[in-house]
This record gives sequence, C-alpha cells and structure tokens, in this order.
Amino acid sequence: MSKILDAILCKGLPARDIKNANRVNLLAILWAGTLAVTALSREYTWHSTMLFISIIFTVHTAIGVLMVFAFRKFLKELDDLERKIQLDALALSVGVTIISFSSSSILSVAGVIEKLDQSSLIMLMAITYMIGTVVGRIKYR
Amino acid sequence: MKNCLKVLRAERDWTQADLAENLEVSRQTINAIEKGKFDPSLPLAFKVSRLFSMPIEDIFDEEFEI
Repeated sequence: MSKILDAILCKGLPARDIKNANRVNLLAILWAGTLAVTALSREYTWHSTMLFISIIFTVHTAIGVLMVFAFRKFLKELDDLERKIQLDALALSVGVTIISFSSSSILSVAGVIEKLDQSSLIMLMAITYMIGTVVGRIKYR
Repeated sequence: MKNCLKVLRAERDWTQADLAENLEVSRQTINAIEKGKFDPSLPLAFKVSRLFSMPIEDIFDEEFEI
C-alpha cells in the first residue's frame, strides 16, 4: 500500500521537478475551471453573448497553450527515469484512447451504443495517463 | 546495460541518495540504473562519467545478445 501511495505522491523526485509539476497542475486546474465556468454560466442570460464567449474562449485557449508549454518544460527538465515513465504513460494513454474510440465508433455505427462525447475522450485519456504513471513508478521503484 | 555504479558508489561510501543528489536525479533513478532496469540518457551518462572521473565505457557496458 505504501508503494502505491509513494507512486501517487511521486515521492523522491527532485524539488525542481515537483515545482514544474505543480505549475502544470495549477494550469490544468485553471484550464478545467474555465470549462466549468462555461458549463455553469448556462443559466445566465449573458452566457451566449459574444463578449462572454470571446473572453472565455481567449482565456481557455491561452491557459491551454501555457499548460502545453509548462508540460514541455516539465518533461524537458524532468528526472531521467520519471521522463521515461511519463512518456510511456502518454503512449499508453494515446494508444488506449485511439483504439477505444475507433472500436466504439464501429459499435455506435451499428447502433449498439450511443456515440461517445468529447468529455469521455478527455476522461479516458486522463485516467489511462494516471494509471500508466502510477504503474510505471511502482515498476521501477 | 551492465554498469559498475554500485561498486563505484560503495568505494566512496555513498548511499543511493548521496549519488542521486550529486547527479540531480531521484534515488529511484539510481536504483533502477544499478539494477539494470533502466538505461540512463547520454547527458546523465556523461554526468556520471564526470563525477567519477572515468570514461563512460568503463562505467557502462553494453550487453550484446546473439
């Protein structure tokens, strides 16, 4: 159990990597926050105004771009082993997501299941990425 | 890839954590390299080489599979 906890909490990483990871996490929270604001604002009349859409689109995109650059910096400066773990997890995440969606599209065309939406795609990517990271850390610990 | 990192570390009476601090990597990285589970990147191999003042090929030995 402690092995799993250590893997989740990325125990043992150099301070530089923790700092970079925190920056990425903060931007990811802000990025998700702008999506939440969009969803929650549906009840208000100003939700569909051009000004609101322009602002939320600009802020969401800008935070997304900053997050990509922060993640790039994080990977570039990352501890050697942790970089391999992260890249393996990313490969797993992308692979599982593409295969799942292509397979599910066959089922949705046949009418067996409903078409999956974008949020499922993001959720699946995030979950497989997290699983890949934790499994990798346990494997090399 | 085989390596003599553990021997070099023991000669200096260093722990894995000491070596990790010198090389600015995690202790897990040192452990994985010593066990042969993970091959270091070229920049890290050069860092190890500089730290022990030894050529890379004297520290790391490629295992050929026939």
